[in-house]
Amino acid sequence: MLALQLLVNGIVTGSALGVMAVSFALIYATTRVFHVAHAGVYTLGGYLAWTLVHRGVPDLPALVLAMAGCVVVGSLIQILLYGPLDRRGAAQLVVLIASLGALAVIQNLIAAVYSPDILEFPPNWAGHVFPLPGGLRLTGVQIATVVVDFIAFGLTLAFAHRTLLGKRIRAVASNPFLAEITRLEPRRVHVYVMAIASALVCLPGVLGPLDYGLQPYGGVTPLLTATIAMIAGGIGSLAGAFALAVAIVVLQNLALLVMPGEWSIGVTFAIFVVFMLLRPRGLFAGKA
Amino acid sequence: MDYFYSYLILAEIYTLLGLSTNLLVGVVGIFSVSQAAVFGVGAYIVGDFLLAGTLSFLPALAVAALACILLNVLISLPSLRVAGDYFVVTSFGIQLLATATFTNWTAGTGGANGMPGVPPPDLLGLPIESTRGILAVTTVATLVACLAFWLILRAPFGRLLKAIREDESAVAAAGKGVLSAKVSAAALAGAFAGVAGGLYATYLSFIDPSSFDLDASILLLTMVVVGGARTLAGSIFGPFLLLALPQVLTFVAIPTTYAATARQLVYGALLIAFALFRPQGLLGERL
Repeated sequence: MLALQLLVNGIVTGSALGVMAVSFALIYATTRVFHVAHAGVYTLGGYLAWTLVHRGVPDLPALVLAMAGCVVVGSLIQILLYGPLDRRGAAQLVVLIASLGALAVIQNLIAAVYSPDILEFPPNWAGHVFPLPGGLRLTGVQIATVVVDFIAFGLTLAFAHRTLLGKRIRAVASNPFLAEITRLEPRRVHVYVMAIASALVCLPGVLGPLDYGLQPYGGVTPLLTATIAMIAGGIGSLAGAFALAVAIVVLQNLALLVMPGEWSIGVTFAIFVVFMLLRPRGLFAGKA
Repeated sequence: MDYFYSYLILAEIYTLLGLSTNLLVGVVGIFSVSQAAVFGVGAYIVGDFLLAGTLSFLPALAVAALACILLNVLISLPSLRVAGDYFVVTSFGIQLLATATFTNWTAGTGGANGMPGVPPPDLLGLPIESTRGILAVTTVATLVACLAFWLILRAPFGRLLKAIREDESAVAAAGKGVLSAKVSAAALAGAFAGVAGGLYATYLSFIDPSSFDLDASILLLTMVVVGGARTLAGSIFGPFLLLALPQVLTFVAIPTTYAATARQLVYGALLIAFALFRPQGLLGERL
């Protein structure tokens, strides 16, 4: 019974991390930047929503405004940081260092403004428990997480494959040079991608903390899981990233049956090592 | 005066760590946010042996150095197999895993409460308890490490490492062992971090996971980026400068609860500023 509940919890959290993995994969496949500061944008989304809710803004508008805030921050990082570094032909290592710096700045600004301690959202619909047949229990926020994140994933896939901008993004991702000479304007597309991905990552960034509270440094571990899912799924495959995120988090949750939760980072990392040894290109690599 | 000595001791220990990080990040050219984890392993190993009384200071330090060499080679090996960006995941993963171990493995590390009462270093059975004595020990260790770093960068081996950074396939085509060169550099980096850990544990006599977490790794990276990659001067200047920074920050009226936050904020801003405007650091070569 416990196993079933853990499985369900795993799918819920997994869909949240799946959206994070998909948003990260969009950025990585298009801009080639390993956007470590994405963890900061994720955390920022939750804090923005928390502030708005505390100021009396209703939940849904608060979510939308938080997403807008993340879009602004994500785009600014691209325009002011990655863009100039890219134009200068900076080494990958330097871009990574800049991204790590941006992460440190965002996290510590949050800690300075709010406090390094855990913040809880005020009690609301999120904590309402819905008993399901078979003794399963789902909270309001868990149901919202699954629904919103699966819809967001579906919309992202549809966007990438059906819309003009989505096709333009995939074109830039698959061949930046060709995109440049056919005037698809890769640099502008990079900004769009960062904006879209930052809005996307705000969804799990807000819904997750509704469940277990906000912490300024809480974005790094989810991002690590999300990037492992992206690599295991295969760079360039959005569906692979999402599926692997769900699978990894389900495994993490089932591992709770045999070991305490403090070690779940070990489970995640073991999965990564296995993939690196056996299938370093990921499960679904090759699809742009 | 003791206050100044203690700054010197810590700056020297961090110089060892700066050399270690510089070997990995600057010389071999891999992104690392896990050097604090290796540092921590060295510190806990020395702490454990001295507390149990099974080994005296120098043998314990040697064991710690060996363990850290092994660990650092193990950590760096994936970077030799997978593309650069994947190694970021390895590095973050190792750091978070190490923090989880330091915090939760209470039997070996004291857990979140830390490990108090590590005895001071001793030489040939004589304990060194004065700050000056410890300063002498760290100075000798740091000078030896600096000399090793300087000699290596001048030696043919150092030129080989630089050549690998410039063009790995050309070096391989010239029949040089790329893998063994990188592994050797990682091993040396591990030894420096292990010794630094042992000195740190015995000097402070108390260690806890917060000295070896992700923030500590970011500090080490900032030291190398600010000081400058691939030069001895940069590896020394970075730690001395950045460890003076908290003293400067104490003159600005920041509540103590926010001191750590303010420091990390400055480190992050420095990383961004140097990446954008001065990737070679103050006294280094281009990253």
